[in-house]
Amino acid sequence: MFKKLLLSGVALAALSAPVMAAPADNTIVVGLSADASTFDPAQISSRDNANIAKHLFATLFQVTYEGVVQPYLVEDTKVSDDGLTYDFKLREGLTCHDGEALTAEDVAYSFNRAADPANAFTGNTPGFVYTTLGFDSAEAIDDLNVQIKVKARTTLALGMLAQVYIHCKDSYEQMTAEEAAANPIGSGSYRIARWDRGSEIVMEKVQDPGNFQNIIWRIIPEASTRTAELIAGNVDIITNVSPDQVGAINDSGTSNVEAVSGTRRMQIGFNLSEKVAGMPGAKEIQDPKVRFALQYAVDVPGICQQLLGTSCERMTSLVNPPNGNPDLKPIPYDPEMAEKLLDEAGYPRGENGVRFSIRMQGPRGRYLADANVIQAIGQMLTDVGVETEVELLEWASVYSPLLRTKEMGPLFFLGQGGVTWNPLYDMSLFSTPDAATNYQSWTDPRWFADWDMARSAETPEAARDVINRMLKLFYEEGPWLQLYFQPDFYGVSNRIEWQPRRDEEIDLFFATLAQS
Amino acid sequence: MTFIVRRLLQSLIVIIGVTLITFLALQMSGDPTYLYVSERATLEEIARTRQALGFDRPLHEQYLSFLGNLIQGDFGNSLSYKRPAIEAVMEALPATLELTIFAMVLAIFVAIPLGVAAALNRGSPVDGSIMTVAMAGQSIPSFWLGIMMIMFFGLQLRILPISGHVPFIMPLVQGNITQAFSQLPQALYYLIMPGFAVAFYSISRNARLVRSSMLEVLSQDFVRTARAKGISEYAVVVRHALRNAWLPVVTMVGLEFGFLIGGVVVVEMVFSWPGIGRLIFNAINQRDIPVVQAAVVVLAIVFISLNLIVDLVYAKIDPRVKL
Repeated sequence: MFKKLLLSGVALAALSAPVMAAPADNTIVVGLSADASTFDPAQISSRDNANIAKHLFATLFQVTYEGVVQPYLVEDTKVSDDGLTYDFKLREGLTCHDGEALTAEDVAYSFNRAADPANAFTGNTPGFVYTTLGFDSAEAIDDLNVQIKVKARTTLALGMLAQVYIHCKDSYEQMTAEEAAANPIGSGSYRIARWDRGSEIVMEKVQDPGNFQNIIWRIIPEASTRTAELIAGNVDIITNVSPDQVGAINDSGTSNVEAVSGTRRMQIGFNLSEKVAGMPGAKEIQDPKVRFALQYAVDVPGICQQLLGTSCERMTSLVNPPNGNPDLKPIPYDPEMAEKLLDEAGYPRGENGVRFSIRMQGPRGRYLADANVIQAIGQMLTDVGVETEVELLEWASVYSPLLRTKEMGPLFFLGQGGVTWNPLYDMSLFSTPDAATNYQSWTDPRWFADWDMARSAETPEAARDVINRMLKLFYEEGPWLQLYFQPDFYGVSNRIEWQPRRDEEIDLFFATLAQS
Repeated sequence: MTFIVRRLLQSLIVIIGVTLITFLALQMSGDPTYLYVSERATLEEIARTRQALGFDRPLHEQYLSFLGNLIQGDFGNSLSYKRPAIEAVMEALPATLELTIFAMVLAIFVAIPLGVAAALNRGSPVDGSIMTVAMAGQSIPSFWLGIMMIMFFGLQLRILPISGHVPFIMPLVQGNITQAFSQLPQALYYLIMPGFAVAFYSISRNARLVRSSMLEVLSQDFVRTARAKGISEYAVVVRHALRNAWLPVVTMVGLEFGFLIGGVVVVEMVFSWPGIGRLIFNAINQRDIPVVQAAVVVLAIVFISLNLIVDLVYAKIDPRVKL
């Protein structure tokens, strides 16, 4: 019996050998928490999905690690004097994965297909990029020249164009929407060799750039399983490492955690909308002095060290470095100063030690350690006499609808994504008093008067003085408590060299095998 | 015949009940309109979308229209996958069936020898060890067991794969029989850890059940008589005692399947198993209502069909069931 068991064990081990092997030298393996849902270029909206797609589809421009917008498919760009017409000349010799030449007609088709209301696409391109860009139309002038028109001058144009995936007319015209979702015909460095839904996506290289011949995206939803696969050497990069697993990875000897300061801006928003006027605390936070005072009450460095396991980059405004106002410094943790300013604002402690009460809502499980952060801030505010009632809510069905209708709060925890390539992109959250992303319903007329000036400037540099003035106003009287840029943790195998990006994009083109 | 018709009608009513409960539960968890509009949508756009999708209609109208579509096999399009929800469910179902069937086999064929060994060695260290493990098996959550197995067999010993899946049923269904059987060893290899994690509770419960059942049978007169006749101990245990003792386990099998399917959700997450449990979990997170509805209804149909088959087989074997 024992002999039989032993033999079975040996057989099992023999069987296991090929499975447990590390990835081949020409292959890089990434462990993601979620599968792609579609590869229709006009339907892609989630970050994980977009990270995979950017290796399949080329774009007119791309944003570098450093936040510079640079040409990708484009060789030459001309902008009309009124800033409404962009003429792009494509590089010669471009091809699609179906073997056809990639021409200006394909570029125009890619843009117009996403914009066509008959297709009812809901991805990032039609749902967000086109609105921000003010996209009007695209037209092929000849094989290499394409013209794109926008409705208003904007310095955001090239960066927004870097998000539109180029695909090829002949193939897509013959596919139904369902076929297009599963059979991407791309224009980028890699094409899909196999897609085992829920398990893995295997890509093979067809053209430069790209140092690895194959990319395998493995879908591993559970964080501890992703960590185990990384430590075992079966995957090279994992995303969303939770802070409690950082030590295990760093001690493994096979991999390390790379932490980057992300571009997501974490804040405690003040809901200044009339919709919540009846809630406790809503009246008090209308006073900018109260909002500014509360900033001193929150120990942001302490929260980062204790709850996120890292020293985060502090925010001084809604704009990501290096585009912020350099004169603004993070407000230090100084509860005594908070109390003094609250006294001065006309809210002294009552006999029970309470200045006023307020409700703070936030999601659970949406952002890094969100529930812990929210509760800690609730306690810190209570400590300076602002009795804070914390309410943690489920994101998708409860909290997100409250945000959309602007009925959360009056204090609320939120993280909003940003970029490194243009300050106006970050500031566009407050493009109008009733903008959908102005969750705070902040209507300060000084901001919106300056916003029109900043937006119509020919370059962000030309608007620098105005931008700095706006950011100072936001700092002193603004609609949110400045917390931190959310740190992102990536697990990276010692087998490879790879640089994570701040903007949550995964870019494998320039990853290489580590020098041994 | 009347019995069969009655059971079929009962099954139909249960399926309709499942659709109603699923429909209401999802409707009550918030306004689904928000799933269909962009983050930057204005209130007017949201209202227009709500009207266009019919979410402003009374609930009973929405349910009847949902039921009408369902009868035609139309569960609507998945919000996240942008394709028919039923397709996503049917693609995930084979992986779950592989896991569940494997776990069921373990739950029966590991439990019986353990239970018999414990009964035959009553009060001995063998009995004590088996019953201690069985007790632990009924207390340990499957996800924790799964993670521990990953740490030990996947990371320390490195003899079993930490996560992943090699399909067997799907190629079989697609008619690729050669491919299916060439992949079978790998498929089984990937099944060991998740299968055991799913089955551990059932193995423990069944082992205890077999033990007590065996002890009861072994003390009965016919066993004593068999021994008195000088029949070998092996024959007494296997031919006489076990044949009677494992009947309670057989009775459990019909219920076992539904129980195991319930247990796979968490295990599928831990082992990155691309099955229906993981699909439901993700769909709930994304509020992909059509996928949740399709998955729950399909699972209900699988479960109810199996119970129906078990009932019909019982009725065939034991006519008293029909009464």
